Amino acid sequence: MLSDKEKERYSRQVLIPGWNQEKLKQANVLVVGLGGLGSASALYLAAAGIGRLHLCDGDRVELSDLNRQMLYSESSLGLLKVEEASRRIGALNPSVAIVRHNAYLDSRNAAEIIAGCQVIVDGLDSLEPRFILNQESVLRGIPYVYGAVQGWQGYAGFFHPPQTACLACLLRPGAFKPDRVPVWGVTPGAIGLIQAGEVVKWTLGQNPSLQGRLLIYDGASLSFEIISVEKDPACPVCSRA
Amino acid sequence: MVIYLKAGGELRSKLQPDVDHFTRRVETEAGKPLSDILIGIGISPAFVAFAFKDGQLKRLDYTPSEGDIITLQPPVSGG
Repeated sequence: MLSDKEKERYSRQVLIPGWNQEKLKQANVLVVGLGGLGSASALYLAAAGIGRLHLCDGDRVELSDLNRQMLYSESSLGLLKVEEASRRIGALNPSVAIVRHNAYLDSRNAAEIIAGCQVIVDGLDSLEPRFILNQESVLRGIPYVYGAVQGWQGYAGFFHPPQTACLACLLRPGAFKPDRVPVWGVTPGAIGLIQAGEVVKWTLGQNPSLQGRLLIYDGASLSFEIISVEKDPACPVCSRA
Repeated sequence: MVIYLKAGGELRSKLQPDVDHFTRRVETEAGKPLSDILIGIGISPAFVAFAFKDGQLKRLDYTPSEGDIITLQPPVSGG
């Protein structure tokens, strides 16, 4: 049941046809990685009124994060991201319950971190933990909202096997990764907000636009391309699930 | 046979486009998978995350046909 304050807070978005604020209030959403992608998605999911946000990151805020990680400010330097993110989100929308995981996601803690969540948002910055997250999402039948950025370019997708392909149908380990990934704020901002939008659509019971598809965003030429990602019959993850 | 490779993002400089700013014309033997074609033009498959043609994902084991226009996408790993 929405309070009077919540009714007022969300009064503009409930005007959108098909909107159901109660569904958002009941939702449990996990954001893994609170960098550029996670900053954008977590802030907008909180503003939209997702009832319970599970936040996972083991990192501390550094000066070089502040060009793109909008959850933090100079007063955050040296502090745990998960604590600073909770504080910032709490200030934005105190009605959102926060579950904190001060940890880097790995194969030992993934099951515990994901437990109780209905959808996973990828805010990670390397491929290895993404494959762990993907594997857990396939095993548990939880949708995985993929995002990744580099320079001016970003990818986003909504994977939910067995209805769709999974991340391992798209990518394989062994890809080249630079020592320091170049990135500026607008790229993870754009992709993170698209991820948040897909989470909200799914939570509202609508079909996410990127279900089984991949958005390829190129900010340098300002192009958006969406391709279909078919299931790989030889996928090492979802073909065996 | 001839195929056309296009590149997104930071792959463009590696592809060395010659048709326009994004596209390279490649002559290759029929029946070769895309990964072998890439090696043949000096691009390590590690620099290509996936490819697509006509809006459909194509993995690097895809065998192109005459006249295919295939877009290569780089690995993108940051967050």
